[in-house]
Amino acid sequence: MKSDFVVDDIDRSIVEQLRLNGRATNQQIADKLGLTATTVSSRIRRMEDANQLRVVAVSDFSAHGYNVLMEVSIEVDGRAASEVAEELARFPEVFAAHVVTGRYDIDMLVVLHDFEELPSLLLDKFSKVRGIRSMLPTIAVDVIKYKFDVAPIEDREPA
Amino acid sequence: MSTPQLDDLDRQLIDILSRDARVSNRKIAADLGVTEGTVRGRIKRLQQDRLIAFTAITGFSLSNHAQLAFIGVQAEVGKVRQVAREIAELPLITSVMITMGQFNILAISVFDELENLVEQASDRILSIDGVHHVETSIAVKTLKYNPRVVRITSDYAGDFA
Repeated sequence: MKSDFVVDDIDRSIVEQLRLNGRATNQQIADKLGLTATTVSSRIRRMEDANQLRVVAVSDFSAHGYNVLMEVSIEVDGRAASEVAEELARFPEVFAAHVVTGRYDIDMLVVLHDFEELPSLLLDKFSKVRGIRSMLPTIAVDVIKYKFDVAPIEDREPA
Repeated sequence: MSTPQLDDLDRQLIDILSRDARVSNRKIAADLGVTEGTVRGRIKRLQQDRLIAFTAITGFSLSNHAQLAFIGVQAEVGKVRQVAREIAELPLITSVMITMGQFNILAISVFDELENLVEQASDRILSIDGVHHVETSIAVKTLKYNPRVVRITSDYAGDFA
């Protein structure tokens, strides 16, 4: 799906304008780029429909009361890593889950409101997942950079 | 990191805008039964408090960078902040966190070719003064990724170029 979608310079310049201001109107973007509002609108829709673009508000972890951010690396034993990752991804505390190369098999981003949630996450939730040999937590104490404008894009949820 | 005071209206606004930021204030106001002025004021406050930011998220085919790597870094404790800042300047690095655990810095890279990851990220991090050890792992399959909830750092504006 991603390989046959072609973008040109006009698409890229529209995206650039949207990155600067996602709330700019089609007319404002059109005026800046010397296009018509109709072109801007149809280009945006085409990229959205191909799941290559979302113009959204991103919100900070703290807006949701999340104060603890951890990376958790997992060593898997006796089961396919992607199966274990899929099961772990179902927990709402797991914000991202990837099967990775290297010393560990799975890399996850885990987000909590506070550390008091950790015992139940480990003892009631993760402990039920078969195939976890060991877990290595790394706690984020300060975020220096966090770029959020490139990501795998999921299908749009039905409104 | 304290929890900001958000009411139901703020949360409804965040929910609507996180799905599509291009909805007009007028439509949001009508849907939520408030005035356009209220919507405008709330959005402005949420932006000023860095609780939301508007952006265009692009899929990997628009960015030309298709793969994700996690780079764990062991750096001299006294130099960790400086090292983290230097890593953040490298071209393929999208996120940098100072951490506690096996590594004291975690960097995330979005890259196109393995060779570039090694030459422009891993090797360059290793050559920074104060860095002892670098360990890179590459995501081969992504099961979940929530791009809507992020850390909005103070320098995010203008960092999109």
